[in-house]
Amino acid sequence: MSNLKKKLINGDFVITVEITPPKGTEISQMVNKLQELKLLVDAVNFTDNPSGKMRMCSLAACKISLDLGFEPVLQMTCRDRNRIGIQSDLLGAHALGIRNLLVMTGDHPVMGDHKEAKPVYDIDSSILLKLVNNLNNGFDLNGNKLNGKTEFFYGAVVNPNAEPLIPQLKRFEQKLKMGAEFFQTQMIFETALLEKFMEHAGKFNTKVIAGIVIIRSKKMLHYLNSKVPGVSVPGWLIDKIEGLKDEDVEKFGVELAGKLILNIMEQKLCHGIHIMAFSKVEEVKNLLNFIKIKL
Amino acid sequence: MIITRKKDLKEIEEYIENFDKFFLIGCSECATLCGTGSEEAILNLKQWLENNNKKVTGWMIAKTGCQILGTKRELSQYRQDIEEAQCIMVLSCGAGTQSITELFEEKPVIPVNDTLFIGNMRRLREFEERCRACGECFLAITGVCVVTLCPKSMLNGPCGGYKDGKCEVNPLRKCAWIVAYEILKKRGLIEKFYENILGPKDWSKANSPRMFKEK
Repeated sequence: MSNLKKKLINGDFVITVEITPPKGTEISQMVNKLQELKLLVDAVNFTDNPSGKMRMCSLAACKISLDLGFEPVLQMTCRDRNRIGIQSDLLGAHALGIRNLLVMTGDHPVMGDHKEAKPVYDIDSSILLKLVNNLNNGFDLNGNKLNGKTEFFYGAVVNPNAEPLIPQLKRFEQKLKMGAEFFQTQMIFETALLEKFMEHAGKFNTKVIAGIVIIRSKKMLHYLNSKVPGVSVPGWLIDKIEGLKDEDVEKFGVELAGKLILNIMEQKLCHGIHIMAFSKVEEVKNLLNFIKIKL
Repeated sequence: MIITRKKDLKEIEEYIENFDKFFLIGCSECATLCGTGSEEAILNLKQWLENNNKKVTGWMIAKTGCQILGTKRELSQYRQDIEEAQCIMVLSCGAGTQSITELFEEKPVIPVNDTLFIGNMRRLREFEERCRACGECFLAITGVCVVTLCPKSMLNGPCGGYKDGKCEVNPLRKCAWIVAYEILKKRGLIEKFYENILGPKDWSKANSPRMFKEK
């Protein structure tokens, strides 16, 4: 059983962090970051060509992490592979020792750096969950028997910021039915929307890990708000950050994320946090230092 | 209907530079509705060719350009004009253009239009894609074609990328699944819809080239 699964089942508050694999073959920076993060958090998520921007595959990055003795979460999207490619990659990932999966449909290539690419979307994330469930039971998506089944701990994503929210809640329930064992949320900026979502999610027996982003510049805030699918920065936060001097934004960003996490922990709102720091280890350290855990 | 758009004349210039005599064929169905295969479109092209010192030996508008035998019959009375022409220019969709290729394999056949999609006309010459011809219609379940209208062809509800009900890929468009949700809600079918999941979709029904013959 993966350490992440064990901790979530035990009711421990988990901390995961997101790393984007390198755009190129140079892995030393990623390795250095992993070595530092290993001591700080429970698992590391490797993104799958986020926003449709081409990078090293999540699977290879997960293997590098495993070799460093650090538990990875493989992100798998439906954008770039059909059902054959996905299953083939997942069997390979399992053989390499990868046990945690986070599955999603994936951002459309139109947002990325290969806008002309033909998107695949052979299946959507609900079917992908069914597919993983089948692999775990020893069958492929079509019910053909496998020679050896997988033992994946698999989760799905949900966006508590979505407006209107009800279709998103319905998708959440659907993903639960498909066997999702945990959920990771899109980045949240205030607890109100998370509380509203958890009011609903709390009715079900599942684990929710809240996505937390550390804002480090005004430019980044505007990028998130206008370019990242499903992210809406609240107006009050844009006003607040616009009112700050550029050099004060990063400190504010860490404090904001820190207070949000403390609030989540105090209220026992959900079961862990997922830090989206865009591979900036220093910021993760600052944040964890701020909330005085793990350090 | 099949939506077509007139090609840029610069592209057409390259195809016809070695020819002087042309026969033009339009189509009275979709291409006429699109304004790309109508009499007006034909006469405009004729005028343009003549302004470029080319000769038009004749022209006609096929009733249904993609109906091969019917078009062949209609063309029989233009045999001489076609023989005189070095090249045939077709103002229809790609299917109509290929009917003509099949009938005149020895003569160059040039498409005047680009074929865009299967869609509906909302206002005059304002078209929206509505059908991907995927071979497996879910409209009874989803109300709108999510295979076509959702850029990710999500079959089971919206992705997490919509913002204020607008699509992640084109924020000017409403998320297809929000449209579907509103229809299902009006029909009282939300709970029923989410009881099951759709798919995995059988995309092999859309493997090209497709053939169909009514028994």
